[in-house]
Amino acid sequence: MLGLGKPKHVTERDAEGETERVYHEIKQTLRVSGVNLNFRTWASYEKFLPLMWDAMRPVVETRAFEDAADELRAQAVVAAEGLGALDVADRVRLGESQKYQIQAALDLYHYINPKLLVFTSAVKLALERSQTNSAQREEREVELIERGIPAGVYPMEMISAEPEDERLAKLFEDIKQTLSLSSINSDYRTLGLWPDYLTASWQQLKPITQQKEYQKASDELRALGVNLAASFVTSIPLSREAVEEAGENSAEILQTTENFERLLPSLIINVSLLSLDWKTPEQLRKSPFPAAARVNVRAARGAS
Amino acid sequence: MNWRDFQTMQRVAEIDERFVSYLDDGAGEPVILLHGIPTWGYLWHQLIPELVKANRVLAPDLIGFGYSDKSDSFDRSIARQAELINDWMDTIGVQRAHIVAHDIGGGVALRLATLFPKRVMSLCVMNTVCYDSWPIEAMLQFGHPETRTKLSAATAMSLLKRALKQGFASSVDDYLIESLLAPYTTEVGKLSLIRNAAALNTNLTTEITSLLPKINVPTLVIWGEDDEFQLLKYARRLVSDIPNAVLVRVKDARHFVMLDRPGEVARHVSHFLTQELH
Repeated sequence: MLGLGKPKHVTERDAEGETERVYHEIKQTLRVSGVNLNFRTWASYEKFLPLMWDAMRPVVETRAFEDAADELRAQAVVAAEGLGALDVADRVRLGESQKYQIQAALDLYHYINPKLLVFTSAVKLALERSQTNSAQREEREVELIERGIPAGVYPMEMISAEPEDERLAKLFEDIKQTLSLSSINSDYRTLGLWPDYLTASWQQLKPITQQKEYQKASDELRALGVNLAASFVTSIPLSREAVEEAGENSAEILQTTENFERLLPSLIINVSLLSLDWKTPEQLRKSPFPAAARVNVRAARGAS
Repeated sequence: MNWRDFQTMQRVAEIDERFVSYLDDGAGEPVILLHGIPTWGYLWHQLIPELVKANRVLAPDLIGFGYSDKSDSFDRSIARQAELINDWMDTIGVQRAHIVAHDIGGGVALRLATLFPKRVMSLCVMNTVCYDSWPIEAMLQFGHPETRTKLSAATAMSLLKRALKQGFASSVDDYLIESLLAPYTTEVGKLSLIRNAAALNTNLTTEITSLLPKINVPTLVIWGEDDEFQLLKYARRLVSDIPNAVLVRVKDARHFVMLDRPGEVARHVSHFLTQELH
């Protein structure tokens, strides 16, 4: 089982001080309605989260980062197409509003998960260095994307990670066992709002996740994420040394980060597979929430 | 009908970059049912089977409530709710409708009847907010932004369950209470309800007091006379201010009059819609 770092997470409700500040920044900069599990887990390393975020934010708000996530998302859709159709929507009795909201929830994760993978890989690559290489830095102009949660982004509403409903509790346990998770991800907790849909989805997804083709697609997506992240890493003033200086355990954080990097490709593919029930591959290859350019550009530190 | 089945029947309409979930059942002259706080369209589940016999019944979840949009990014005041109901009626192609409403849904209905009078064929309000009858103390406290951090969703649920029970005349089934609160059990649901409570504003009913005498559609005021949230004196005030309004006092009923006395309330509303108006 992949241990996702410390079992303790910091929820948005419990966030205070620097963590609360960073959570707000995460939502505004990543243009997302909630804080995903990787951030909630990183936040359990109290000094690490702001250090890491302040190093990452100048990269995350660029057009180049958004484009990288868009490329990853498009690749995930191509991979999902090759794995076959799930047809979950036809197996469950859903009302018009429920269908609308499920699609909106899938759009939310279809948008954010690829960004999380590029982000996580960049953090991992940065933590693998003992020190940042200041010699590679230079000033240049970059395009920034607009801040703020776009209209139409579904709230990151989630049921409890330990639901009282016995059927959901068993389902979450099965998902965790099958995917070697120590915590259930936001995606599944959101889809748990529609228990019949999540149950049917998992019934269809589970056998696919055991296929060699799925593993291959997942590995390829992870490799692409690392490649894309590599282009940003020289711009990120984060290193093992900086983490240790802040008083945090860099080895443990690196392991946690690697675990998320291992987990995210399958989440991205799963959301793509589920989304293919509702939208065409062509629609899904495009960002569900394209980002306009911010009016001003800034001189940024980074490699050309 | 249980709340999951009700949810499955809900349709959806997009309005002003938000979405509204609503039940749409039956045929005939449209009747719009507006719920209050902290409930959702399911509030009407016992009345709907009676009304669909002769009418098209539309029961939206107000924005920020139930299974309508719960994003933390818009105004949930009854003024905005009335504007959105007006826009929603356009979206679903309903020009005019009978309005049946409860609690703050009644505040929305009074604003529709006074500020969008062409939309309203008749008005039936039950234990509605009006004048300076609201917000009640519990909701004022709940609407404080710090409630988000002070109360977990689970704790908020226990407090709301206890508060809601006071709105019933007799002992009420836990499942019914849980069903009325079902959309608010998550942190997002809780936060949305906090924002809804923060939007409760007496001025939005006091500012239309002078317009009440101009309401010129048939009006029925139904009141669970033992209501401790919205006192009977306000019902009397409404029927004296709205021309030709009729008051029906329901004995042994409190705030949730349509659930305390479902058969009796259904008869009054049906009679009002089918007999008095034709």
